[in-house]
Amino acid sequence: MIIMTKVYVAGVGMTKVGRRIDRSLRDLAAEAIFKAIDEVGNEKPEAIIIGNMLSSLIEQENLASLIADHVGLRGISGFKVEGACGSGGAAFLAGYSLIASGLFKRVLVVGVEKLNERPTPDTSRGLAWAADADYELIYGVSFAGLNALIMRYYMEKYNISREEMGLWAVLMHENGYHNPYAHLRKKVTLEEVINSPIIADPIRLYDACPISDGAAAVYLVNEELAKKLSDTPILVAGISNALDSTDITSRYALDELYASKLSAKKALEMAKIELKDVDVAEIHDAYSIIAMLSIESIGLAPKGKAPKLLAEGRFKPGDKPSLNLSGGLKSRGHPVGATGIYQIAEVVMQLRGDFPGFNVGGEVGLAQNIGGVGSNITTVILRR
Amino acid sequence: MTTIQRIWRFKDRLIKLTASKCKDCGFTTYPPKSACPKCGSKNVEILQLPRRGKVVSYTILNVPIKGFDAPLIIALIKLNDVMVMSEIINVDPKDIRVGMEVEATIAPSARTLDGAIPYVVKFKPITLRK
Repeated sequence: MIIMTKVYVAGVGMTKVGRRIDRSLRDLAAEAIFKAIDEVGNEKPEAIIIGNMLSSLIEQENLASLIADHVGLRGISGFKVEGACGSGGAAFLAGYSLIASGLFKRVLVVGVEKLNERPTPDTSRGLAWAADADYELIYGVSFAGLNALIMRYYMEKYNISREEMGLWAVLMHENGYHNPYAHLRKKVTLEEVINSPIIADPIRLYDACPISDGAAAVYLVNEELAKKLSDTPILVAGISNALDSTDITSRYALDELYASKLSAKKALEMAKIELKDVDVAEIHDAYSIIAMLSIESIGLAPKGKAPKLLAEGRFKPGDKPSLNLSGGLKSRGHPVGATGIYQIAEVVMQLRGDFPGFNVGGEVGLAQNIGGVGSNITTVILRR
Repeated sequence: MTTIQRIWRFKDRLIKLTASKCKDCGFTTYPPKSACPKCGSKNVEILQLPRRGKVVSYTILNVPIKGFDAPLIIALIKLNDVMVMSEIINVDPKDIRVGMEVEATIAPSARTLDGAIPYVVKFKPITLRK
């Protein structure tokens, strides 16, 4: 591996996540971009990388030029990166590489998604495009359905109760309640979670993330510019992306996220950091079951034990690590292609000490973004 | 999602339940792949899976994707050691359970974008028919 320079996050910006019928895709992107560029004293980036999954739903592709031109950056370099719900993390890897290679010194990575322009059945169908079209989509299975198959398997194999599976949603809504950027800012009780409407048995409404719009941006710079453009640059100490099968049938194991395990291990190795040293992490909890599998696959709990650790009170604000202080995908929301960039921006703000919700600070943070049902996963290690 | 030519192109796979088996490391996968995902070998053979197996997990969708009707029962089914995903038909959602023995049958799927009604493999219980 030849890395010409260390890479730093010098600025971040994000919009409120939600059902943003008041804003277009380009205007959401502009709001996040202007905030991030403002943080580096209006220094013009040399390239813009867009993370997005489903702009085709609103019949708009060619996002890099659309957005760059809309925000006064005509003439710079750029392109869109797609990796389903993991598009943001994958775009970040592209942006990171452009600086680490020495090609550019200033790169803006933007995640943006606009899902609430279309009726929910259309959007659900679009989200299911991340599954295997020929072998899964053809049966009409939604993304919730695929996750439900894994959730039932997991609960039966490890004898997990409905109550234990509901604890995650309660914690996420507690965290998200304090995050002004969150989509669903309301606390929920375990009773409400386990009695919420069934979407795809055993997945209930509160096991699932909402369908969200939003945009987030991170401004990456090389080592030379880091101190010049920011008082609190955050080092990208490690990064790794790994792929698994699109289909869930040919997985090595149904109760493990192979790509999560691989990318977390490699990112930690690259950063020369041990998992026990991570202070804060944002993980990808599109469904409660995915949160459990990520916690276990990253190595924060033995297999089948994540719900037990939650019941013991682990991973709350102030624990090491504190998980999803943003409220996670459940409460902050899941603007799919933007989610990976939200996670990184949130961890950066935690380490800088200016996250506007629960802020526990710390030296080391981890962000893990998952595309598909665990098929395209990027893990990033950030260090103050 | 689907067009007539796409269905025509993989009609055999939709109906015959084919998997690929690596002749070097033995890893078998459904859907079939052009090379072994595990060891990378292109030395793979297509094999036909048995048409009877057991439900490993299932879900009942109250909100399927656009074009499909609820309630929709989707299951993971083990045919020997190979896992497939399919719809379970001819069963009341209340009666579906893990471990249920099912067999493959051919049944229509939802209409394609260009108006055809493709036939695909679905599964039905063996036990209830006795």
